[in-house]
Amino acid sequence: MSTAFISPLGSAEAPARGPFADAAAAAGAVTEVRDGWEVVTSFGDAAAERAACASSVGFADFSFLAKLELQAPAATLESAAGALELGSAERREGAWLCPVAPELRLELHPPAAAAARREQLEAAGVRTCDLTASLGAISVCGPRATETIARFSAIDTRPKSLPVSGFRPGSIARTPAYLLREDEERFLILFGAAYGAYFWETVATAAAGLGGRPVGLDALAAPSEVPHA
Amino acid sequence: MSFVLTCPNCGTREVTDFGFGGEVSARPASKPPQRELNRYIYFRRNVAGPQREWWVHRSGCRQWFLAERDTRTNEVLWTARPEEAP
Amino acid sequence: MSRLPQREGQRIDRSRPLGFSFDGKPRQGFAGDTIASALYADGQRVFSRSFKYHRKRGEICGCGQCANSLVTVDGAPGVRACAEPLADGMAVEHQNAWPSLEFDLMAATDRFGSRLTPPGFYYKTFIKPRRLWPYYERVLRRAAGLGRLPRRQAERGWETEYRRRHCDVAVIGGGVAGLAAALRAAELGADVVLCDEDIEPGGLLLAEGAHEQARDLAARCEEAGVEILSRASALGYFDGLVAIWQGDTLHQVRADRHVAATGAIEQPLIFPGNDLPGVMLSGGALRLAALYAVSPGESVVVSTCERRGLENALLLHNLGVSVAAVADLRREGDEELCDSLRAAGIEVLRGTTAVGASGRGQLAKVTLAAVDARGRAQGHPREIVCDCLAVCGGAAPASSLLLQAGARAGYEPGANRFLPGEFPPGVNGAGAVIGNEDPASALLSGSLAGAESALALGFGGAEDRARAEDERGRLEAATASPSPCLAPPALATDGRSEKAFVDLDEDVTAKDVAYAAAEGYDSIELSKRYTTATMGPSQGRFSQLAAVRALAEDTGLTLGEVGLTTARPPWTPVPLGALAGRPFEPAKRSALHGRHREAGAVVKWAGDWRRAYDYGDPAAEALAVQDDAGLIDVSTLGKLIVRGPEAGELLDRLYPNRMSTLKPGRIRYGILTSEAGRITDDGTVCRLDEETFYVTTTSSGAAAVEQWFSWWQADWRLDASITDVTQGVAAMNLAGPRARQILAELTELDCSNEAFPYLDGQHGEVAGVPCLLLRIGFVGEVGYELHCPAPNARALWDAIAARGARPFGLEPQRILRLQKHHILVGQDTDSESTPYGAALGWAVKLDKEQDFIGRWALEAKAESEPPTALVGFVCPGGEVPSEGAAVVEAGVVTGQVTSSRRSPKLGQSIGLAMVPPAAARDGARIVISDRGQRIEATVQTAPFYDPEGEVLRS
Repeated sequence: MSTAFISPLGSAEAPARGPFADAAAAAGAVTEVRDGWEVVTSFGDAAAERAACASSVGFADFSFLAKLELQAPAATLESAAGALELGSAERREGAWLCPVAPELRLELHPPAAAAARREQLEAAGVRTCDLTASLGAISVCGPRATETIARFSAIDTRPKSLPVSGFRPGSIARTPAYLLREDEERFLILFGAAYGAYFWETVATAAAGLGGRPVGLDALAAPSEVPHA
Repeated sequence: MSFVLTCPNCGTREVTDFGFGGEVSARPASKPPQRELNRYIYFRRNVAGPQREWWVHRSGCRQWFLAERDTRTNEVLWTARPEEAP
Repeated sequence: MSRLPQREGQRIDRSRPLGFSFDGKPRQGFAGDTIASALYADGQRVFSRSFKYHRKRGEICGCGQCANSLVTVDGAPGVRACAEPLADGMAVEHQNAWPSLEFDLMAATDRFGSRLTPPGFYYKTFIKPRRLWPYYERVLRRAAGLGRLPRRQAERGWETEYRRRHCDVAVIGGGVAGLAAALRAAELGADVVLCDEDIEPGGLLLAEGAHEQARDLAARCEEAGVEILSRASALGYFDGLVAIWQGDTLHQVRADRHVAATGAIEQPLIFPGNDLPGVMLSGGALRLAALYAVSPGESVVVSTCERRGLENALLLHNLGVSVAAVADLRREGDEELCDSLRAAGIEVLRGTTAVGASGRGQLAKVTLAAVDARGRAQGHPREIVCDCLAVCGGAAPASSLLLQAGARAGYEPGANRFLPGEFPPGVNGAGAVIGNEDPASALLSGSLAGAESALALGFGGAEDRARAEDERGRLEAATASPSPCLAPPALATDGRSEKAFVDLDEDVTAKDVAYAAAEGYDSIELSKRYTTATMGPSQGRFSQLAAVRALAEDTGLTLGEVGLTTARPPWTPVPLGALAGRPFEPAKRSALHGRHREAGAVVKWAGDWRRAYDYGDPAAEALAVQDDAGLIDVSTLGKLIVRGPEAGELLDRLYPNRMSTLKPGRIRYGILTSEAGRITDDGTVCRLDEETFYVTTTSSGAAAVEQWFSWWQADWRLDASITDVTQGVAAMNLAGPRARQILAELTELDCSNEAFPYLDGQHGEVAGVPCLLLRIGFVGEVGYELHCPAPNARALWDAIAARGARPFGLEPQRILRLQKHHILVGQDTDSESTPYGAALGWAVKLDKEQDFIGRWALEAKAESEPPTALVGFVCPGGEVPSEGAAVVEAGVVTGQVTSSRRSPKLGQSIGLAMVPPAAARDGARIVISDRGQRIEATVQTAPFYDPEGEVLRS
């Protein structure tokens, strides 16, 4: 494929490194290679990390998620990838299907599933671009998650405005980004990968002020998209 | 200035989420005489009142859309995708 | 001074004494005190000196509304002593007096300077000689400051936070009306935020003996889920967004409905000596006594022109304060209240008011008299010895927020006030701000406003609507006749020597307003700016009405005709740091940033990127590229994928040259222009396959180019899609004589010049990383721009660097590209540059049949000579002129230097400059004027290095 050079390719020896890799390492991350990605399993204290997610707020790097951008006429998108209502994402087989505009979507998949999905979409006439490397992803979870996000974004996160599965493209930390409410107290923020260090600092400062901290994948209730070794 | 705009794709956001494209002016179908060309390139109607204009949701879906805004009050009368504009 | 007896409702906890210092001397207060109440209880009546005349000032309002209690706390200036809770160990200092609070040298302006310092004095006095202004300014700033900021950010030690809050209803003001509004709206199901300036909500109820009701209302609000922000000031109303400052946090509240329950502000009286410490508002005196158990004086006199003053006098008496006499300007009305006062042994003087106050630095005696309409005393004035005069000059609705939201204020003569009306949609007023002053009608009007707000949002049912209707009826009946308030007379300004202040923040006297009117500043907006009345920290809370009244008197207009000045934010003085909020500084960094740091790179801003500027030795880095091999991170390049059957057509319409004719695997340079034919960006386009183009843009232009493409695409709707992959694709340029060899060692691709020629783009793995390799030569040597997934970039960089390619930064790249005359858009072009004026005419193909953006303008430009030409130059003398230096001809500026560097390879000073067309020929002499230095240069139209491009293509 002529755009192979935009899709990360990792191995156990040379894993793909997400935009948070340096910041997480500096914060004491314990890493492991899963599905070719260097992922953070913990910051050395999984119990404290779990406690943060349960009582205040924890944030974790999910940049390994495969992100596909779909562009096609609305009817083609609908027949190839199902109907979606703007503003609401849909959880399907471990993936999140997120509508951005009638002719534009984002899909989030486990790393291993992306290539096949891409081929399937292309075959159905959907122009699919791999934005895995272009977008970083950070999960913010816990009872103080909305308060944390309110420290750096004006997006309305009240449940009546942003119910579970709600998807909001908009300004986050003064950069173009996307906000997905995965659960009552769990959000996924997608942001420009070059902002990794800045985003880490922004989220970390806001979370710290509310008693939160960075957490590894081990601290999170294992949702299906967390890859395992 | 901190009014809100409703992106046809993403919903209501602060105006700082958006980029402003100026008033809508049609590109001539073919090369116009110099005087009209200058008018197209350099002149704006700059109305005080409802104005049809381009906006882009720069921090969101990155799509362009049309809006009608009262330039005196910043009241936004409607927003719509270009192909669906009234 | 001892405290008053313990009572319910007091804030202080006598079991918890707190130690603090004032100007270095130890003091003591109690937990629950404010700084001001603790100082006052300790006998300290003077807190600071005033702004202009350096007069002693102390407690006035007791709730942080004016500038007269500003102190410095632990180094932070501008803290309002009467609103700041006392904390153990606080170091409090006075402001605006030197060398000490008691003996202030600048106070001389008070005694001798008032004739020398009329309004506008510094416009008049300090204009000549002009060169001395910086000196004057320094002296004036010192003399008229209100505290000093620590110079260094680090010494301020203050971090601020931003918080966004969306809600259904925002209630501004936590008095009885605000609490009632919030409670009602919340009970109907609305999500409500309430902000209040005081330490606890309750407003006037707290000091007026109804603290239980206040605390009960607040507790019910909390229970109903209202978020109450205390010690939080609403700074302004901005198109529906209310900014609320609370300590370290700036809340930006976006609500669907707003209720302004901002209350009314008790007004001072204007008479000579009205600023003496000991003269305070009756509400301020009451707060001291009721909340902090501090008696405002040994002997208190009250002077009022409405009922409120009488009530406060009685409350003070009941709290154990010794009230000697009450003067009421009104001759009749409120007889029962007067009888109660008399029964308490307080002398009541009807038809009189305070006409003078005197004392040495502190009130000792007050003069009461009947007055005529001009404020002249009639009959026999009465002098009373006292140390506190509590005044009440009526109450002005705090309508600023409502007016900012679009309401209008009209004057009501009977009630002596400007009342807001004509509210914009979605905004309600409640309580004293709309004239519902007594607690019962304030409660009713708050409840109604809360109901109306919630009902308008779809909460509640028919029953609730009926209840609101009923409340509306009751409220209208209750407010049919507003409580009368006699406007205090404007003060006669003739022949008095003692100052009567209209504005205590800014030290503006009644005489100043008259003086300004006499000079022709007879509109309120002009008078405000000339005298600075109402421009101080209290934003006219205590001076607006007085200034209007004084001007009305001086001009013969009615108050309604004079009107109010425009209400502007902020309502409360706010530190700039609080407005700045959290320090967001979005910075993009490449995936290789960590490596650059480790290699000791000098990192600088380049657009919104943090970039490696050099690694310590730019000249050596540049030479390494030319003599061996160098490696630069160019991940900042904008990168777009344009895909679809009509992708070529789209690019043909956007670029002045042809892109649809590119063969897959080939690269073409292109410039972008506006419709006016001005260069906006440049970059390369590589065709990846039949339907896919890979477009690079300048580093700072990526977002703008994507927007530009999609804007036209929104109109044209061609079958092509645009995706910005800038941040996901890392790019590095391996260049130099040894570049090919290094690359060949890392890839299975045939890197020979025949198999991989100049301007070819090929796919392949390099060091195991999937790459797009573009053979282009921005730096002028054989070079390969390797584009790869950012998550793999480090492995690729490490592999190449390990083979000896020397990392080089932005600065050496700038030297190298200058040697080749490769322009930088924005550096060597400006907003006027056309391709013809930037030596890029070759990139415009007017012979292509396709219409394209800018074509029509460029056709016209092509026919005439451009006003300037971009050429290279060499300075034989070796000087390196500044970028931006002028090119001059016979003393006239005819052009400018756009780039200049010393080339280590060529051993020459080289540059690019915009020059007149006549000078755009080889060997032409030009003169550069650089900050007074004259530099001679010779024009060279061909590149300085490898002019034929043989090296590049080899």
